[in-house]
Amino acid sequence: MDSVTKIRKGLNISIQGSSAQTIEEALDVAFYAVKPDDYVGFTPRLLVGEGNTVAAGTPLLADKKDPRMQLCSPVAGTVEAVVRGEKRHIEAVTIRSAKPQPTPTQYPDLGSASREELTATLMACGLWPMLRQRPFGTIANPHKQPKALFISCFDTAPLAPDYDFILQNRQEDFLKGLHTLQRLTDAPLHLSFSPQQHIATLSYPDRCIKHTFCGPHPAGNVGTQIAHIDPINKGDIVWTVNPQDVCVLGNFMLTGALAPWKLVAFAGPSAAHPCYYRLTCGASIESIVARQCPDPGNLRFVSGNVLSGTRIQSNGFLSAADSLISVLPEGNDYEFMGWLRPGLHKFSATRTFLSGFRSKETTNTTSHLHFDTNLHGGVRPMVFGELWERLMPFDIYPMPLLKAATVGDIDLMEQLGILELEPEDIALCEFADTSKTELQVLLRQSLELIRASQS
Amino acid sequence: MSKPLRHFIDKIKPAFDEGGRFAALQSTFEAFETFAYTPNTVTKHGSHIRDAIDMKRAMIIVVIALIPALLFGMWNIGYQHYTAYVLPVDTGTTDFFWQCFGFGLLRMLPMIAVSYIVGLTIEFAFAQIRHHEVNEGYLVTGLLIPMIMPPTVPLWQLALAVAFAVVVGKEVFGGTGMNFMNPALLARAFLFFAYPSHMSGDKVWTAAKAWGTDAVTGATPLAELKANAVNIQSMQYSLGDLFWGIMPGSCCETSTAAILVGAILLLVTGIASWRIMAGVVLGGGAIALLFNLIGLNSYMQVPFYYHYLLGGFMFGAVFMATDPVTAPQTNPGRWIYALLTGALAILLRVVNPAYPEGMMLSILLMNCFAPLIDHCVIAVNIKKRSRRATNKQ
Repeated sequence: MDSVTKIRKGLNISIQGSSAQTIEEALDVAFYAVKPDDYVGFTPRLLVGEGNTVAAGTPLLADKKDPRMQLCSPVAGTVEAVVRGEKRHIEAVTIRSAKPQPTPTQYPDLGSASREELTATLMACGLWPMLRQRPFGTIANPHKQPKALFISCFDTAPLAPDYDFILQNRQEDFLKGLHTLQRLTDAPLHLSFSPQQHIATLSYPDRCIKHTFCGPHPAGNVGTQIAHIDPINKGDIVWTVNPQDVCVLGNFMLTGALAPWKLVAFAGPSAAHPCYYRLTCGASIESIVARQCPDPGNLRFVSGNVLSGTRIQSNGFLSAADSLISVLPEGNDYEFMGWLRPGLHKFSATRTFLSGFRSKETTNTTSHLHFDTNLHGGVRPMVFGELWERLMPFDIYPMPLLKAATVGDIDLMEQLGILELEPEDIALCEFADTSKTELQVLLRQSLELIRASQS
Repeated sequence: MSKPLRHFIDKIKPAFDEGGRFAALQSTFEAFETFAYTPNTVTKHGSHIRDAIDMKRAMIIVVIALIPALLFGMWNIGYQHYTAYVLPVDTGTTDFFWQCFGFGLLRMLPMIAVSYIVGLTIEFAFAQIRHHEVNEGYLVTGLLIPMIMPPTVPLWQLALAVAFAVVVGKEVFGGTGMNFMNPALLARAFLFFAYPSHMSGDKVWTAAKAWGTDAVTGATPLAELKANAVNIQSMQYSLGDLFWGIMPGSCCETSTAAILVGAILLLVTGIASWRIMAGVVLGGGAIALLFNLIGLNSYMQVPFYYHYLLGGFMFGAVFMATDPVTAPQTNPGRWIYALLTGALAILLRVVNPAYPEGMMLSILLMNCFAPLIDHCVIAVNIKKRSRRATNKQ
C-alpha cells in the first residue's frame, strides 16, 4: 500500500455554505451549452446552424487543426443560438432541450474494440476532450502516448464538492471509466486520495497506483500531486482527468448511450440551501438560481471553485470538467478607511487583521468571515514574494518565474518550471497577492506563448 | 459621517478624470480617495475572492511596528540632551520624563515633516507623470529616514538626502518594487559620504538646544569601543542601558527593547521575513563569537550579545534587511543574504578602522549582491530540473 505524502505549504480557505450531502433532481433545465473556451487550444469550426435539430452526441463544433476532434451536444433539441464575442469568436453554442428527451441512440458495443476504434468513437461522440494534457492543459493528443495518467479523487479548494460522496454514488461508472482509460494507454494510472476516503478502499484495476495526500489546499490539485509523484520534465506528456468525467466515460461504456450527467454541488454564502444537483453536462444554472437565490442581482456565479473557476451569468452554463457552482456576493462597494480597520471579519493569509487570531473553522451556516469579490486594494508592483513561497508546494520559485513571465522570457520560464504548472496551481498566490496582479491570466498567457512558439 | 464624504468625492471625481479641469492631479486625487475608501473594484477572472491585505495594510503594519522605537527615540533624544547639558538633574520624576519626551518630540516632528513633504511630493509627481497610482512604500521609507539620522542633522541636509534617495534610489528604476537598494539607508549613506562631519564623530549624537549647534561631545558606545578607549567592563553604559537604549546614537535606533516589540508585530503578522531576521542575528553572532576566540584586542573580546545591543544592528536586522524588495526573492537566497549581512556588519565594526558602525554599509552591499545570490539559487534549481529531465531519458 501507499505512504502518505504530507503537503505542508498551502492554505485552506473555509467559506460558509458548502453543500449538504443531499441530491436534488427533476430540475426543469431548458437550455444547454457547449463552450469551446473550456478547452485550451481548441479552435472551433461551426458544424451546425441556428434552428438545426440535434441529438445527444451530434457534433456541434470541430477543431480546425484536427477535424476529428469534436464537441458534441449533450442533449437532444434544437440549436438556439451561436453566441459570438469580439471578432466573431464563438463563445458558446446553446441548445434548447427537446421535451421529452428521446431515448438516446445506442452506440455499437465497444467491449472488444481496439484502441484505435475506441479512440475514434470517443472523439466522435465528444467524450475524448475530457482528457487533458499537461503541459499547457490542452485536450490530450490522441497520437501521442503520455508517460502517466493522473486523477485526483478529492478536492481541497474552497466549497469543493465532496468526491467521496459523488464517487460512492457512481462507483460502477467510476470503475468502468478507469478500465476504459487503461484501454487508451499503457501508461501507469495514478489515483490520489485524501486520508480516510471511503472510495480509496474499492478494488481498483491492476495498473492503478494509489497515493494518499494530506495537507492544506492545493493538496487536492492534480498539479500538486503530479509534482510529488512524477514531475513533468521538458518533453514529457501526462494526461489528467477529472474523476467525475471518468464516471461520465464509464456511464457511456456501461449503457452504450450518451447521457453525460454529473452530480454538481451548488455552494456558497449566497446559496439558500447548498446541495447537489443531478445535471446534464453544459446545463444552464438558471432554474437552480431561481430556487436558491431569490435576489440574484448583485451576486457572482462561478462555474468551478472561487479560486480558479469561470465567471458565468445567473443564466449561464456549467463549464466542462466542473462539478461545482459557487455563488457569493459581489464586493462592488466602497469601504471607509478599509486599510485601517481591525478586520474581525476579513480573511487573510497573513495575520494583519484581527480575524487572523480567531478560529478559522467555519460551520456550514455561520461564519465570522465575510467573502466577496472585492479586490481589496489597488494594483501595485509585486513585492511580497515570501508569502507566495508559503503557498506553493512545488520545487519552483514563484517570484522569479512570474517576473520572467511578465517579460515573456520563454527560455527562463521553461527552466524555472512553468511547464509543471497550470493557472489553478498558482491560484492561491493570486489570492494572497498584495500587488493584486492577475497571476493566473499571466500564467495562461505565458503558457500559450510557449505553446505557440513550439508549434 | 462617511456618507457625505463619499458623496462629495463622487461629485468632484469627474474633474480629476482624463480631460477634466484638474486632470494633472489625477494620481494625487486617486491617492487621497483610496486613502479614505477602499475602492469598489471587483475581480474579473481567476481568483474571484482576494485576500483582504493590500499594500496600504502591509505598509501601515510596518509603520505601527516602528512606533515603539519612534516614541522611545523621542524620549531618549531629550534624555541625552538634558543629562549632557543641564546636569545635575533629578532624572527620576514624571515631569522630567515628559520634559525629555517633549524635547525629542519637537526635534523629531520637523524631521518627519520634512521627510514626508519632500519625499511624497516627488512620489506624487512621478506617479502623475507615469499615470500610476501613488505607491504606499514611502509611508515606511519616509518614517525610517528621520529615525536613522543623528538628532543633530540639519533639515536642509535631510531634505537633500530624501530627494536623492527617492529619485536616484527608487524612481529612476521605476518606483517601489523595482529598486535594488534600500532607499532609507541610501539616504543615510548619501549624507554619510557627502557631509561626513554631520554624520559621524563624537559631536552629532546629542542634540543641543538650538538646531545645528553641537558642542557637547557624547561618543556612542560603539565609538568608544572602536577606539579601544574602554573595555566592555569599564564602559559607562550597563548592559541594561544598552538593551533599553539609554545612550547617545541615531534618533530612534538605540533601543533594542522597543525594536523587539516592533519585530514581534512584524513576525506575528507575517509581514517581515523571519528568515532574514534570524539570519542576520545568527550571522552577526557567529562572527562575534569567532572574534571572541581570536581575542587580539579588547574590542574583539566584546561578548557577542553586546553587538546586538550596540549601534544600528537590531534596527537594521528588523526593519532594513527585511525590506522585501531589496532582499533576495527566494527562501534559500534570503538565508544566505541575511547570514552574510549580519556577519559583514560585525566584521566592519570590529576590523575596519574607518567606520565605527557597519550595519548600514553591510546591508547596502548585500542589497547589491541580492540579485547575484538569487541568480545562484535559481541556477541550482534549474540544474536540478534539467538533471531530472536527463535522468529520465
